[in-house]
Amino acid sequence: MTVDLSFLWTAFVQLLPAIPNTLYITAVSVTCGFIIGTIVALSRIYKVPVLSQLGTSYVTFIRGTPMLTHLLLIYFGLPLIVDDLAAKFGWSFNSVSIPMIGFAYISFSITAGAYLAEVIRSGMLAVNRGQLEAAHSIGMTTIQALRRIVVPQAFAAALPNLSNSLIGMLHGSTLAFTVSVVEINAQAEIVASTNWKYFEAYLAAAIIFWGITILIEKATALLEKRINVYNRGGVA
Amino acid sequence: MIKLKQITKSFGRQQVLKGIDLTVEKGEVVAILGPSGSGKTTLLRCINYLEKPSDGEISIDEFTVHCRKPNKKDIHTLRQKTAMVFQNYNLFRHKTALENVMEGLVIVKKLPKEEARNKSIELLEKVGLGNKLDSYPSQLSGGQQQRVGIARALALNPEVILFDEPTSALDPELVGEVLAVIRKIAKEGITMIIVTHEMGFAQDVANHVVFMDEGAIVEEGPPKVIFQSPKEERTKQFLARITPESAYSI
Repeated sequence: MTVDLSFLWTAFVQLLPAIPNTLYITAVSVTCGFIIGTIVALSRIYKVPVLSQLGTSYVTFIRGTPMLTHLLLIYFGLPLIVDDLAAKFGWSFNSVSIPMIGFAYISFSITAGAYLAEVIRSGMLAVNRGQLEAAHSIGMTTIQALRRIVVPQAFAAALPNLSNSLIGMLHGSTLAFTVSVVEINAQAEIVASTNWKYFEAYLAAAIIFWGITILIEKATALLEKRINVYNRGGVA
Repeated sequence: MIKLKQITKSFGRQQVLKGIDLTVEKGEVVAILGPSGSGKTTLLRCINYLEKPSDGEISIDEFTVHCRKPNKKDIHTLRQKTAMVFQNYNLFRHKTALENVMEGLVIVKKLPKEEARNKSIELLEKVGLGNKLDSYPSQLSGGQQQRVGIARALALNPEVILFDEPTSALDPELVGEVLAVIRKIAKEGITMIIVTHEMGFAQDVANHVVFMDEGAIVEEGPPKVIFQSPKEERTKQFLARITPESAYSI
């Protein structure tokens, strides 16, 4: 086996323009997923009627089906709904106006939301009830107590899992190629198609993904270091 | 003056407080004694609504909360008039000793940061922790954490400080330093209600002792009367069991 090192470099350079798409998909899905996850986690923790049951079903359905399936369901299902509504209300907007990357944004946000709901819930549950009581006892409102006392500690407890989810969504974003979004993985295929050197092209993609992942790991480690000032760990 | 009127509390079908009436004068130090399960901690927690009473009335001076249908604002006001020192300290884990004391002043009382800081330093010095301002709770001993807890409660200038067994999670060696701080602030005329198992301390510091059993007040009065000539059989039994002349003979 010979690896064409010069083509590996060429492929690497040609993959760089696809990085933003990968980062957009990851950032949008994790950000929206975080918001969805927070709402679901809070309504499950506080047992909000209707919302908490809906949240539970959402989490089990999404976690029980593959991320690729979510993308395909959204890709084929959403246009039906949009076109139906457009016809009914006479909108000029219809499914053709949805950019391809939009499907990835929507479906991956839904995916991330379910996983993050559990991550956030576990973080909140890791905070001792006494912390909330102490905040109440000094006259804080529940909102103040959550914002200043509970959430910072929950974030610290959930950080390793959050970082895990972020990396998972980064790698999962490669599935967007199925709906013709050119992210790093799809770009590798395009680059290789000219000379059939798939191995080099995908190796270059792997290196880029690894690099981004290392950056995420480093950022997590930095945050963890700050948190460890007060938190001297569990059993370790 | 704090007035509790017919406070009841049930967990499911079990009634843990059976109509408590209690009046605490300004500046009084009240010790609540009783066997475990007698409802003394629940009563204390009802006073600042960490536990929601089923019925009754809580008054602090002119302000009254009707426990059957309280509104959020009343509960919030009640909590601002009271402060609590917890058995497990419950210091904010992600904040330093200084930040723990400042939190209520800045967020609840809306004091300017600099003023809150100065006041907090003063209070921490008062509880003997002037050299631990920047330590996190995990870096402090139990006794030190509890003293920060007391400073945090004092900072709010509450009408009453509620102590929930403040020394029962501590090593025997560290109990003394916490009791000394409580004794010191008791002398300043701050109203306090203390749930405790430290009989000697109750006898020494309190000027009003309440003995509870099975969710009701059995007997109350000055410490001299309760400790030396209790009227009720149940009180005599309890005191005999926990303050024997010579504790152990093996």
